[in-house]
Order: sequence, then structure tokens, then C-alpha cells
Amino acid sequence: MKRSMIICRCEEVTLIQLKAAYESGCHTSRQLKMKTRAGMGACQGRICRHLLETWVHAKNPESPPDSELLPHRPPVRPVTFGQLANGEA
Amino acid sequence: MERITNHPILGPLKGRKEAVSFTFDGRELTGLQGEPIAAALLASGIRRLRRHEESGTARGLYCAIGHCMECRLNVEGRGQVRSCLTPLEEGMWISEGRQLSNEITGRKLP
Repeated sequence: MKRSMIICRCEEVTLIQLKAAYESGCHTSRQLKMKTRAGMGACQGRICRHLLETWVHAKNPESPPDSELLPHRPPVRPVTFGQLANGEA
Repeated sequence: MERITNHPILGPLKGRKEAVSFTFDGRELTGLQGEPIAAALLASGIRRLRRHEESGTARGLYCAIGHCMECRLNVEGRGQVRSCLTPLEEGMWISEGRQLSNEITGRKLP
């Protein structure tokens, strides 16, 4: 694998992959997510969401910043069914 | 790795914690009762907590506040836990995450 800055650690998506996806026509953060899987890993974009959205916005500063932001998915914290059943969460 | 017993801002370590033994990937190690698993491993000189499931590259403690899931480990009887948040207990049987077989998806790494 070519050495490049990792943007999404969970799915191991690098800046080179993001650039390639951008050049292939993925111009919003959601399109980049669907193409590269950035933000679809174990942390659900908690780490890379801002990086990805800032990078997309920097590519095209004229566009409105909230044109197609990645969604936040509940729960805010991962909880097991066991914790729910025992009332720990 | 050396433990900080006298912190420049927080001061000296308060309250003595009991030493407990646990197993990490078959290695017998000791740590302090109730400290995060990641801290006990770091004190034992272990920085690689798991390998990426697909590519097999090394992963370790990253955010240390339970956000990033990078430090997740398998604890016998508990399944996958975040080692930065889970307190260490006597006799814990811990194993690191391994690279998984990719034969079914056939996805090629770039």
C-alpha cells in the first residue's frame, strides 16, 4: 500500500484514496463516504467526520458548508444489550 | 514503561492500588486493580493492542476517552471492550484483535 496520510483509521482510508474518489466525481462528504467507506467503521465517523467535511469544504470553499453533511447515528455511546437489560447504561 | 507516581500538576499518586495478575495473548502480566486495561498494558511495555481486521496494520491507544474504538480488545466473557475505559480485574483473560480472513468479500486492498 502506498504510504499516505490516513483520514479514517477504522476503515483505513487514506488521503490518496479520497483524492482519487474526488477526481472520479464524488464531490460531497456523503458521496466520498459511499465510495471509500470513510466514516463507516467502528467509531462511526467520530474521529474522521470533521476531517472529511473540512477537506471537502476546502476543496470548494464557495459551496455552503452544510450542503450534505454526514449524519450522526444514535446511540451516542455504543451500548450492549446486556448493559441495557441490567440497567447499567 | 515507567509509571508516573508524582505528576507535575496532579501531585503524588493518592491511594495504593492492589496489584492484580492478568493474561494478554498468553503472557502473564501484572497491573493495578481498577486501572484501564490499556494503562496496565502500556506500563508493561505493550503498545500494539490489536491489528486492523482487514489490512493487519498495528493499532494502539489513540483517543483514550472511548471515542475512537481503536483500542478495542477481546476480554474473555465480555466480548469486545474498549481497553481505555474498561477497569482491570484479577484474572482477566485478554487477547488482541487479529487480522481476519478476507476470502468471502474478496475486497482488494489498494
